[in-house]
Amino acid sequence: MEQLILALPGIPAHCAEDKTVLCVPPSVNQLFETPTVFSIGGVGITRTMLLMVLAALVTVAILWVAYGRVRLVPTKFGAAVEGIVGFVRDDVAIGVIGSDGVRYFPYLLSLFMFILVGNLFGVVPLINFPVTSRMALPLFMSLVTWFIFVIVGFVKNGPGYLLSIVWPRSVPIGLRWFIGFLEVISTFILRPFTLAVRLFANMVSGHLLLTVLLGSGVVFISRLDMSSITGVLWLAFGLLIYPFEIFVATLQAYVFTLLAAVYIQTSVHIEH
Amino acid sequence: MDLLAQTAGITGNIEELKGALALIGYGAAAIGPGIGIGVVVGNAVQAMARQPESAGMVRTNMFLGIALTEALALIGLLLYFIT
Repeated sequence: MEQLILALPGIPAHCAEDKTVLCVPPSVNQLFETPTVFSIGGVGITRTMLLMVLAALVTVAILWVAYGRVRLVPTKFGAAVEGIVGFVRDDVAIGVIGSDGVRYFPYLLSLFMFILVGNLFGVVPLINFPVTSRMALPLFMSLVTWFIFVIVGFVKNGPGYLLSIVWPRSVPIGLRWFIGFLEVISTFILRPFTLAVRLFANMVSGHLLLTVLLGSGVVFISRLDMSSITGVLWLAFGLLIYPFEIFVATLQAYVFTLLAAVYIQTSVHIEH
Repeated sequence: MDLLAQTAGITGNIEELKGALALIGYGAAAIGPGIGIGVVVGNAVQAMARQPESAGMVRTNMFLGIALTEALALIGLLLYFIT
């Protein structure tokens, strides 16, 4: 019997001889491995790397087109971008950190815009790959955030920052060593980890959901000659999930930025 | 995993058992955050209905609470994939 191949570009499908229904990728990792496009001096450049550069360029281009020339009356596009910028500035930077949050606004804005563009790559046709679903990118961004909030804590409060975490004065004295222990683990280890994993796992699950639903829908419809209603159901469900993924992409960019701002805020204003 | 299977007296294909156990583990990991997000959003909606002028502040904190709660379920999903 003819074997059906789930056509994913660049992925060698692994077809079991005894199963004639579908060829599946051997593991879920195959969906997230991209082949080397070309190599420069022995360093392989993959599609993900190119997409990361593209995401950065798109981010810069959006801001450049909107604000490259200072206008008295902004264009329509400029007004739309101003909504995003004003939201990050007023609601996230100033709203969470306080009046001195304007100093961290450039970092938070670049974080938000880059993650938003990277997430939305997952629902853009012909790209269809959220670059933030590779752990390296969220992990790097959360480590940068980690360095910023630790350094800000020491610069603003001196050694009192570390003391306020290890020996919190707001809890009863008998419990301080225990709460301090938990606080050290949660602040210095769990915070960067969960910040990265939250974005990464959301994007991975969204990408998997879309791939499985739309891919199996297309395979069922095209290869089984419309004989199965299942394909139509999968395709319809995948198209229902599509706008939800756009919502998740925006929400996760907002949540990442919001949590970065909250972590910086806890370093700026320590509890006495 | 082998030791666990031996003590339980299970013979056969351990790899399939591993996948099934990971799936059950993810299901268990999703229970707590599901309840947690329900509580967070429910109380946030109640707060917004009682005091609509504070809706912006409540919404920000609601997303914060959702994000912190959701992390547990996502770690469960991650562990399902890496086992």
